[in-house]
Amino acid sequence: MPRYYFDTDDGRRKSHDDQGLEYAHEAEARDAAIRALPDMAKDALPGADRETFSVSVRDDGGRYVLHASLVLVAHRLEGFEQ
Amino acid sequence: MTNALMEKLSSAEILTAEDRQLLEGLSTVAQRVPAGQDLIVEGEKPRHTRLFLSGYGCRYKGLASGERSITSLLLPGDFCDLNGFVLGYMDHTIATISECDVAEIPPEAMTALMADSPRVVRALWWATLVDDAIWREWLLNMGRRPADQQLAHLFCETLARLRASGTVRGQDFPFPLTQEQLADVIGVSTVHVNRILQRLRGEELVALEGRRVIIPDPPRLAEFCGFDGAYLHLSQDGFWGRRGFWEKEPVS
Repeated sequence: MPRYYFDTDDGRRKSHDDQGLEYAHEAEARDAAIRALPDMAKDALPGADRETFSVSVRDDGGRYVLHASLVLVAHRLEGFEQ
Repeated sequence: MTNALMEKLSSAEILTAEDRQLLEGLSTVAQRVPAGQDLIVEGEKPRHTRLFLSGYGCRYKGLASGERSITSLLLPGDFCDLNGFVLGYMDHTIATISECDVAEIPPEAMTALMADSPRVVRALWWATLVDDAIWREWLLNMGRRPADQQLAHLFCETLARLRASGTVRGQDFPFPLTQEQLADVIGVSTVHVNRILQRLRGEELVALEGRRVIIPDPPRLAEFCGFDGAYLHLSQDGFWGRRGFWEKEPVS
């Protein structure tokens, strides 16, 4: 099975994957990358008002084949009436 | 062959020479089981009580979607279906992770053992209660600890358990779980496990060599994840769990 490498960034720490994981198809690697995003967010939030979590997937040949990100935006409201 | 069990039970109760002899007699029929095999499947009725003598096993439950959760690791000295012996049928599946030596104890032998020694009954009860305590800790882990601490906690716990059964003496131990299996243990995605392992390695909290885990500085790893092994009840006053799980000899 082809091996994919998952580089991640939660805004605090970048991680370069030198181990990789095996998936039968690129679509499975895509789903795996996306599933990691809420896990990363859960461990890091609440943080700043703007946080970006991202995963970049490399294939065996070192080519980037996917980028996925999850963005949190929070901001104060100035007490608008409903 | 039952050394791991006896070593473990010695934390619970002072077993007499006679009790030890009774326990020694248990594992006369041991089987070598290859890695990745189901030993008994959810819904089946156990015909024997099984005792792990070597290797890693697990309890797991699955969903119709194919996803599963590993609910405990079975290590040398662990009984795996004492509950089936009492409850009648399995409510989960037991499988090997690595190659394992597993003793099969017929129900008559279990009944006779329990009738012969109240101390052994108490020690088996102790082992069951400690399994419950480990589940409570895993629930806390899954519900409230971030995944990097969960994984660090699992490494601390596994070292403490392997040391308690005399399977391991130092600060490194065999760890045959794949990243997929670790994800099934801590309930996060495989890619997140991969990321956390990179981090724990990067900060030199753990080192991974082949299928071994090395903990270079156990107190540091314990502090990182808030590991307090008192819940393993390895000594009556809890001292061994809190401070000394990596020391050469348990402090009693």
